[in-house]
Amino acid sequence: MRHRNMKYSIILVLITVLMSNSACSFFELDNYDAPDVTLNGEVVDVLTGKPVLTDQGSEGTRVRLTELSWGDNVEHNPDFYCMPDGKFQNTKLFKGNYHITVDGPFIPLQRRGTDGTIIADESIVMDLENTHNVRMEVQPFLQVEWVGEPTVSNGKITAQVRVTRGVNPADFKAKVEPMGNYNDNLLNMTDIQFFVSYSSSIGYRARDERWSTRIDYSGNDFNSLFGETITVTSNGQIPTGRTVFIRAAARINYDTPVGSGVRRWNYNEAKEVLVN
Amino acid sequence: MKRLIPFIVIALLAAMSQSCVKLDIIPKNIVTDNELFNTPASVDIYMARMYSRMPFEDFKYMGQWGFENNGWLNSIGIDGTGEAVNRDGITTAFTGERTAYWGQAFELIRDANHLLETLPQYQANFSDELYNHYLGEAYYIRATVFYTMAKRFGGIPLVTKVIQYPANDAEIEVARATEEETWDQVLADFDQAIELLQERSPQEGYANKYVALSFKAQAMLYAGSVAKYNETVSGRLTGVGRKTQVRVIGFEESRWQAASRRYFEESYKAARRVMQDGGFALYRRRWIAGDKQAQYQNMVDMFSDLSSSENIYVKRYLFPTLTHAFDAYNMPFSFRAPLSAGTCPTLDFVELFEGFPRYPDGKIRVTTGNNNASGDYVMYDNPLEFFKDAEPRLRAYVIFPSDEFRTRQIDVRAGVYTGVTPIKPFFSNYAYNTADERYQNLPIFNGSNKTLYLSPREGNGQQTLQYQGQTMTAAGQDGPFFDNGEATLTGLYVRKWLQTTTNIETGEGKSAQPFILMRYAEVLLTAAEAAIELELAGAPSPDGSSLLQVATDNINQIRERAGASLLIGSLTPDNAGRDIVRKERRKELAFEHKSKWDIRRWRVNHYEGRDGFWGETRDKNFYSNNENYRFRGLYPFFSTQEGKYFFDTRFQWVSSKTFGYQPIDYYFAIPGGEVAKSPLIDQQPNR
Repeated sequence: MRHRNMKYSIILVLITVLMSNSACSFFELDNYDAPDVTLNGEVVDVLTGKPVLTDQGSEGTRVRLTELSWGDNVEHNPDFYCMPDGKFQNTKLFKGNYHITVDGPFIPLQRRGTDGTIIADESIVMDLENTHNVRMEVQPFLQVEWVGEPTVSNGKITAQVRVTRGVNPADFKAKVEPMGNYNDNLLNMTDIQFFVSYSSSIGYRARDERWSTRIDYSGNDFNSLFGETITVTSNGQIPTGRTVFIRAAARINYDTPVGSGVRRWNYNEAKEVLVN
Repeated sequence: MKRLIPFIVIALLAAMSQSCVKLDIIPKNIVTDNELFNTPASVDIYMARMYSRMPFEDFKYMGQWGFENNGWLNSIGIDGTGEAVNRDGITTAFTGERTAYWGQAFELIRDANHLLETLPQYQANFSDELYNHYLGEAYYIRATVFYTMAKRFGGIPLVTKVIQYPANDAEIEVARATEEETWDQVLADFDQAIELLQERSPQEGYANKYVALSFKAQAMLYAGSVAKYNETVSGRLTGVGRKTQVRVIGFEESRWQAASRRYFEESYKAARRVMQDGGFALYRRRWIAGDKQAQYQNMVDMFSDLSSSENIYVKRYLFPTLTHAFDAYNMPFSFRAPLSAGTCPTLDFVELFEGFPRYPDGKIRVTTGNNNASGDYVMYDNPLEFFKDAEPRLRAYVIFPSDEFRTRQIDVRAGVYTGVTPIKPFFSNYAYNTADERYQNLPIFNGSNKTLYLSPREGNGQQTLQYQGQTMTAAGQDGPFFDNGEATLTGLYVRKWLQTTTNIETGEGKSAQPFILMRYAEVLLTAAEAAIELELAGAPSPDGSSLLQVATDNINQIRERAGASLLIGSLTPDNAGRDIVRKERRKELAFEHKSKWDIRRWRVNHYEGRDGFWGETRDKNFYSNNENYRFRGLYPFFSTQEGKYFFDTRFQWVSSKTFGYQPIDYYFAIPGGEVAKSPLIDQQPNR
């Protein structure tokens, strides 16, 4: 009995091995080239050429690639987001013909009318084969800049910022009104955020709740304050002897992409502050 | 082995030379329409299959997972509604379902459509009444599936006939309809069902006219709210699909107002018919006027009494074959079998109810000051004294610290304080931005002058101290433990739905209590809300009744049964009146998988709308920032110096959860694979 069982086991093993071998392609590589295409990009203000700063997260500047080579009914590639300095990079793309667009706190590059037809598309369509650099020129809603240097007293940071429009209201209206649901309230500046964090990648996501603050503005209250110096102060008491990072951001009452309800902020650059 | 080979060869040859016989006969093991639509008993089989696939949100549904017909870890109210939280990742805002309700839906729709198209050939087999009822069931089921999808996605492919397969693309592919067309189809299907269904279910588990009317009222309230409150979200929350240019979410600017009003009218009329002709009544079997104990017991009993006059539609379970595990996951820690505390109610939820001392801003009072960061803690002989005036309905829904459950006292204590009295609040700041500072971070706990005792875990993990010659544990036997989320996280446990009988065995797959999918209280609340919305829209009453009178009476009926105070005067036709109705709904229907749909249709979950999250107006900045929101617990502490208890109200201390919600979440993403493989199915335009 024992002998026969052995024999059956061997036959079974052989059959199994044979069956696994029968799928010969199992051992072959597929005929696709590895995704070795690199796309580097930056999002810049068309007027000043300066990068449009953002927060790295789903409330920052979104990069959407669509590989058109797949045909008409194609879904976009997985979204990714700009780095805080307004640059983006993807080093693992397949060769192909791509539609490249970004959505963020600026006039939408791809604009559709209320019936869904495209009325303007300033996105880039190009063949990607090796390493490419693209420059996305946009019209940011706002520009946020520091005024002078922040000061620290009793664990509180006080800084001054200036917010100006990046796109003039007439231009905004000309481009946004054809997309439907337009009213002048969309242009209202709604809030200034003052983010404080131990992290250098500070922003909406990486902020310390205890110290970050904000100033809200209702209606068009801020209209007279464009270009003026606004003072922002942190909350609570930051422990001494540590370095923190600060950043300010502002946004208007307009969501991008349209209908998403996400109103994205324009940022200034992060600053390092020693609290002592 | 060798001797066998000739036999094998012969056998193979024999097997291969068989196929001369004609094989085109109906196999015996396949049930055909002829057999299925033959007798009422055989139609039962068809119905059973459809009902087993119905998208019921009951003990086997969880917001985070979707319809997986899976009782594992089932908790209720943890999907960012604020009713409850638990330790696991399933405690998250309702921004999507792991298993999207799409493919399953079309399977069930196909079954319903097949019945509608095929049954007429077999009409002679049934009485007219039954024949009509079966068709009504098919319409009811289709309405339910379309409604279930519309709540999630907005406009959907309205497949109203059986699509033969294989066929060319033009016949197989169905694009998403507009959201308005979708709701109109839901309305039409419910109306057909109401027309055809019998007054009483011919069999237990079947639908009937009043089931369809009640769900129609619910669905139309949803539709009317979406049409109206989309307008409160930036960008109007609408858009057209890329492939079809069809308005797959939201309503046209010129149409939303009329649509909203029409849906509210339909909702009101349907609810009124249930009220007038249904013969249902609120459950008051043990209710006694002025007797809080009886009123509490009445509301505990009503969820397990199958003969309740309030039940309109009930999903039943049967031990040992068709069971769930609600008890196993949600009982207090000392009853764990094998898990516990899956549903921990929050203080914010408790704050909706009457019978508590309050601060000037309406929050529950625990100190002598003007808010919980000022004054001294108020002392109580035992924790239950704090709840002595609490609304009986709340006690029926939530187990208070030291209250009894299955004849045992639930021992909830957050810690013991040995310092001098009177006691100042433990924290100087209770604001949202300091929510992550915990009791165990306090110097009175971990400093050299220790006066606060807390326990990281149960058993040997308990800190102990001597009190009146006896050893006392810091935390109660039922927690909370700051390193173990298996006990209460908030100081409270859920009571609703738990079996209260002491001798019953509990464990996974051992619970069989029914889930009430639709009860009369909801119909009353739906009528009241639709009535106020119609008043707000300036619409006349659809049936001549006084809208405000009906709304006021309905709210008072529910309040009286709940042991809450009645309205003074009539509800007003404004947002304040509307909010009274909303708040009542939030309270009454808690832990029934309903609130997550209410906050969704009111569009009050995203930051800009969050002031209305609780049905009443509460300052969102108290419990959220522009990214996330959180909920609070109610933590009882024992003072050894006084020998008394006091409470601290603080953001959820154990397994702290934050929730996030964006306007795009009001319409779930269409499953990517469905969009990619179809030339017509559109993704949500705002994604």
